Amino acid sequence: MVQLGKSEVNGGSQVRSRKKKVKESEVEQAPLKHLDALELKQKLKERLDIREQRSYGDGDSVPSTPPKENGDVSGDEATETIITKESCSKKKTRSGETKRSEPKKPHHPFVISVQMDFMVGFLFLISLITRLVFLDLPRNVVFDEMHYGKYASLYLKGTFFFDANPPLGKLILALAGYFAGYEGDFEFQKIGVPYPENFPLMTLRLIPALCGSLITPTVYLILGEMGLSNWAGALAALMVVLDTAILAQSRFILLESMMMLFALFAILSVLKFRRFAGAPFSMGWCFWILMTSVNMGLAFSVKFIGIYSCWLCSFLLLRSFWKRLSLKQVSNLQLFFEFSSQAVLICVIPILVYVGSFYIHLSILTKAGVHDSLMTSAFQASLEGGLSSIVDGQPKVIAHGSQITLRHTHGKTCWLHSHEHVYPIRYDDGRGSSHQQQVSCYSYKDVNNWWIVKRPDREDLAVHEPLDSIKDGDTIQLVHGMTHRALNSHDVAAPMSPHNQEITCYIDYNISMASENLWKVQIVNMDNSGEESARVWQSIGSQIRLIHVNTNQAMKFSPRLYPEWGFHQNEVAADKNHDQLDTIWNVEEHRYTKHDEDKRTLERELFNAELIPQTPTYLSFWQKFWELQVKMLITNQDNVQNHNYASYPGEWPFLVRGIAYFISKDSNAQVHLIGNIMIWYTGTLSVLAYSTILIIYLLRRRRLCFDVPEDVFQEFVEVGEVLMAGYLFHFVPFLFYDRTLFIHHYLLAYVFKLMLTAFLMVHIYEIAMNVVSRKWLARLVAIGVVCWILATIYVFVQMSPFCYGFFPMSASQVKSLKWKDTWDFIIHKP
Amino acid sequence: MKSSSPVKNTGAEWWIVFGAIVLFNLWTRLHKVDQPEWVCWDETHFGKMGSWYINRTFFFDVHPPLGKMFIGAVGYVTGYNGTFPFEKPGDLYHDHNYLGMRVACTLLGACLTPFSFLTVWELTQSITASAFAGVLALFDVGMLILNQYILLDPILLFFISGSTYSMVKFRSYHERPFSVVWWTWLIITGFMLGGAISVKFVGLFVILLVGLNTIEQLWEILGDMSQPISNVIKHFLARAACLIALPIAMYICLFFIHLQVLYKSGNGDGHFSSSFQSALVGNVLHNASMPRHLVFGAIVTLKNHRTGGGYLHSHFHLYPEGVGARQQQVTTYAHKDENNKFIVKKWNDEAPKIYSDEYEKAEVDFVKHGDLIRLEHVITKRNIHSHAEPAPISKKQFQVTGYGDDGIGDANDVWKVEIVGGSEGDVVETVTSKIKLHHYFMKCVLTCSNKQLPKWGYEQQEISCNPTVRDPNALWNVEDNFYPKLPNVSFQNFAPGFVSRFLESHAVMFQGNAGLKPKEGDYTSRPWEWPINFRGQFFSGNDHRIYLLGNPVIWWGNIIFLGLFTATYIWNSILAQRGHEDSLEIQTQKSRTLYAGVWLFIGWALHYVPFWAMGRVLYFHHYFPACLFSSMLTAVILEYILNTILHFIPEKLVKVVYHTFIGIFVGTLWYSFHLFSPLAYGMEATPGHMTNSSVHHLKWIASWEF
Repeated sequence: MVQLGKSEVNGGSQVRSRKKKVKESEVEQAPLKHLDALELKQKLKERLDIREQRSYGDGDSVPSTPPKENGDVSGDEATETIITKESCSKKKTRSGETKRSEPKKPHHPFVISVQMDFMVGFLFLISLITRLVFLDLPRNVVFDEMHYGKYASLYLKGTFFFDANPPLGKLILALAGYFAGYEGDFEFQKIGVPYPENFPLMTLRLIPALCGSLITPTVYLILGEMGLSNWAGALAALMVVLDTAILAQSRFILLESMMMLFALFAILSVLKFRRFAGAPFSMGWCFWILMTSVNMGLAFSVKFIGIYSCWLCSFLLLRSFWKRLSLKQVSNLQLFFEFSSQAVLICVIPILVYVGSFYIHLSILTKAGVHDSLMTSAFQASLEGGLSSIVDGQPKVIAHGSQITLRHTHGKTCWLHSHEHVYPIRYDDGRGSSHQQQVSCYSYKDVNNWWIVKRPDREDLAVHEPLDSIKDGDTIQLVHGMTHRALNSHDVAAPMSPHNQEITCYIDYNISMASENLWKVQIVNMDNSGEESARVWQSIGSQIRLIHVNTNQAMKFSPRLYPEWGFHQNEVAADKNHDQLDTIWNVEEHRYTKHDEDKRTLERELFNAELIPQTPTYLSFWQKFWELQVKMLITNQDNVQNHNYASYPGEWPFLVRGIAYFISKDSNAQVHLIGNIMIWYTGTLSVLAYSTILIIYLLRRRRLCFDVPEDVFQEFVEVGEVLMAGYLFHFVPFLFYDRTLFIHHYLLAYVFKLMLTAFLMVHIYEIAMNVVSRKWLARLVAIGVVCWILATIYVFVQMSPFCYGFFPMSASQVKSLKWKDTWDFIIHKP
Repeated sequence: MKSSSPVKNTGAEWWIVFGAIVLFNLWTRLHKVDQPEWVCWDETHFGKMGSWYINRTFFFDVHPPLGKMFIGAVGYVTGYNGTFPFEKPGDLYHDHNYLGMRVACTLLGACLTPFSFLTVWELTQSITASAFAGVLALFDVGMLILNQYILLDPILLFFISGSTYSMVKFRSYHERPFSVVWWTWLIITGFMLGGAISVKFVGLFVILLVGLNTIEQLWEILGDMSQPISNVIKHFLARAACLIALPIAMYICLFFIHLQVLYKSGNGDGHFSSSFQSALVGNVLHNASMPRHLVFGAIVTLKNHRTGGGYLHSHFHLYPEGVGARQQQVTTYAHKDENNKFIVKKWNDEAPKIYSDEYEKAEVDFVKHGDLIRLEHVITKRNIHSHAEPAPISKKQFQVTGYGDDGIGDANDVWKVEIVGGSEGDVVETVTSKIKLHHYFMKCVLTCSNKQLPKWGYEQQEISCNPTVRDPNALWNVEDNFYPKLPNVSFQNFAPGFVSRFLESHAVMFQGNAGLKPKEGDYTSRPWEWPINFRGQFFSGNDHRIYLLGNPVIWWGNIIFLGLFTATYIWNSILAQRGHEDSLEIQTQKSRTLYAGVWLFIGWALHYVPFWAMGRVLYFHHYFPACLFSSMLTAVILEYILNTILHFIPEKLVKVVYHTFIGIFVGTLWYSFHLFSPLAYGMEATPGHMTNSSVHHLKWIASWEF
């Protein structure tokens, strides 16, 4: 410290002496003033900044001798002197300097295949072995295989399903199943069900296992790409191999390993791309930016949480562009073109991949299935079987005399419903009601869901040619089919939402409460062509609002449920705010009234109506696509529920809980997702250690103490920028999630943590070797690392039964592995 | 306040502008402050809590105490006697003296305008910018409405803007470290921060702002190589003491006062643990005395240890058909009742009846950690029992019933006692032991699932046996303990000290805050709605309607200027990165503006962005602290733009343009304030969507509900 202060004082006076020669003598004696120190610092900083850009930014585009800065030459020289002086005493060059600059040179873009050295092959091989052995055991449905396996089967059968995750991962699984000749006939009822003999389990599990094995070499290449030694890469890759959580997650029909692989490919491509940043629009530049964006799209299309990898890639690209901005020799126009072409590629290609995966998804799934009822009537009707088999033949145009069911279009599936029960005279909170017939929204098909559309001025109901079609803006009455009472609303507070207006089926009690049963039909999704035919109310396709004529309020579905007196059905009320999704309804089933002689025939007709064949419903890809997107967004938010093995993000770094994936029926053999605690804790520690070391470096540098060589420090910062950012990007967002989370959501963040750990170990070794320059210390560090690896292997061997899940363990064996009180392994047999 | 204070330099002009704004501000805030003469909106809560301070009655609230203490204190001083019930919004005050509390809150709220003015003055040293800031705060109808009632927000906003001002003021003395003014402003900052966090936890965001600012200062000081390192440490320690230790001490002191003042039992008791309640005068547990330890044969009540947890309860009614086995219901019940009593028995042995001969002869046998017990309901003589049927509501858990006749049931009545954190041989203590009851065969724990049973269960809460044995709702403690053979111990002896009461209050507060989840179907305000002034909030109805809504001209302007600032900042960073250099004059102006802008922007973001991540119920008025910073940012950027314009026009036009600009700006704001002031000063009864309403022309967008 003291020495340093001194040298800097000398330096400072040198600046002054060169600049203002007149005052030379005075300056020599005068104590250094504040201003000078600041000025000097500024200069120093500028110099350092420029240096760092020179040695690291951009490969060959930088001329070998840096051009002179503009401005005061003599001053510049002066600073140069200081730097030399400074660096003589403080800066040490690292032994491997020449070797280090090597990977900065641009390579042929497709060099990756050449670089597949022995190490990569070896790492890939051992991860393949660990991931592939006994892949078909346990031969039972494990955890989410229940979902993903089922979805793959449904693809093969072409049956529509709905899942909150995008389709790509499941499509790949289905493709594997297709090649294996699987026909999708296994049901995947629940976890633990044994697979039938003819089920190609190996093939389906092979895909995630392969992806999981490829993660290992990718990690190695990523660290190599950042200019780190092979040791760091090998160490990180070894950790990936030895982590039991990543292993268990890769061995079953699950999507994480695919998503992780694509995400890591994307990161690798960005790092490769950065090497070509200095040669815009070259082969390599184009290839790697393309690779980046394609992989981003793939990761995102497998699982939505891949979005964080996309953000990370964009962040890294922005950083690299930011560095490029400071190069004066590149013109503004060129920079603009580079930026916009990158931005366009990064945005458009992932979206194309995503939409493409949905295109395949929707073109495969053409048959109706179990999840139909989640979708709108129009969507359902466009699938084969299911609703379309019911509505296929039904007439399209709603006319006077139409018998219809009215479905709540968006959100919960239910139909406008009424029944022979009235609202209670008094509610529990003391408010009174009109005591008229209840109207609700009912989630099941029922004969009481049928209504008849009627013009106020006509009494007969049978439909004859020419049709008296109902158009946008027409006023109608809706008569309940079974009770013959008309839909009515009036200025009485609704049962569950007192700020809204009650809706009833009108009963004439002969008191001074007249019926107000006129409703105006407002078609929401009408095309404004102005043609008369466009304004006609159609079944399924038209989304309508019913506006109560007297009070100008819209009929809406309310998420509140009636209590017991209303059979826990959903409330229906009228709201003065028309513009909300819950006021939108559509006709689902529809037929014309043929006989209206008396009520009895009408009822009979309602029960067994015949259908007139007409054209099937067709929805375009985009309509379906958007509907699915909205649905996925909503479902993702709804998913708040308790799960026995759910965990909080705050617990993840400490490996508080695992997830029980599978338990054998007749022994304690089980699959349990639990990480290698050795690696897990070291990783958490290294995040802390990295931050601490970085802060110490920064504080010391601020006081102009350069403890480590400049290039080592720069490397420390740049590697951290990728890995720490990677960790935080994939971890921090989860802290704000309001839904059930599992520890497998942490795995991608964890991989970044592993890489950081490996880097930190090598960094400490290097400090011991080159900066502290104590051979014995370096050896000690190396021995420590080796011991640590041995311990890790020991833990891996101990824990591996939980990954492979077919070793029958005794209760005491399982207990002896319960190293943390919070680990809930299952013991159900002695 | 001498050398660097600009007041002296600019003299009269500064004082005229400042004085005019302050005076007009006072007039707008105090105008009709007594209207309406009934309880408005959340006055029903905070007025009530103020009364409780006057009455010394304990209550529970999710916010820290300072704001309500202030209301209580002011009410007390101005002659309010704490008797008005504040039952619901719309209740007339009649002759209760509410005015003191309203005026006090209004006056604190009125400080926002001068604080905005002064903050911007310290940041920019420009009267124009400061005046803009003052006028923006003054003419914001929303600020006016929110700050006119007995609410926590005026107090909170006062401390937030006060912290910001004292932070920049303190910073202006950076060249005279450790002088008296320097210390004064540092300490004031600390007090303001302490105040902010003691009113609402939102105060944390302004602490973050000051913290970041302080880190930046220290970084500068660290880089000053002319000063020894010890200087940095001195600076650091001074700030740590005043900005960290002082607010914490203040916060704890206020809590101490809070717990000291409120010594009477009130309606908030139920949220707290049995031992906490025993410290409240008037609570049944206060001065109660019962055996210290639990023995076999004792008659006990078991209280769920969760916040507001009820007592284990059973009664002569069966689960209805179709809900598990038709056996006797077991529930939790929040009130004291004979049906809450159970006898603790050995799993395989009867316990002698209390006062019987056998009882007199029997030895005292303590219930220990790991013992197997049965719990027999005293009145119905049935055992607490569980079996592999789903619980009525939590279908993944098991049903718990009352089973058996005269205390004779089956093997499924056996429970194992676990004292949390206990070990073999520990005896269960009354009130203080937290225990779990494990079902011996099903390996599940007795849990209150927190869900209400339907009518057949009398809307009491469901009891289930939960296979997730770590469920926090599975903790119980023994509350009543009746066993005459053992000596009674007064509860006073283990009433908790301040520290544990302090910690428990916080646990309960955080739980309460997290529990403020929107229920399905309830309307909640979302953060995206706020900056665009999408929807307001009714404060008062009837024929003097008040509707909280920001002045749309100011709020929409604020968004534009936020965007402008971001764009300018990015553009400048790019220019700097490209090595672009400005002339010195522009450079100074620019860096001054950007510096001010950055900190105000950070202030805005810190008070706004975190709400996106909050799962709890949110309200429109949560945006007001952020809006404060946003308005100041607008003032700074507006002045910068004005200056840039003036830079490019001919010399002789400068004055004209300048005055026209000021005129238009103030005029527009004044007119918009005039337009929207009925929202604050009361609208007549006709709703705004009717064309004959006096405010119909103000309903610019459909979502405004007035």
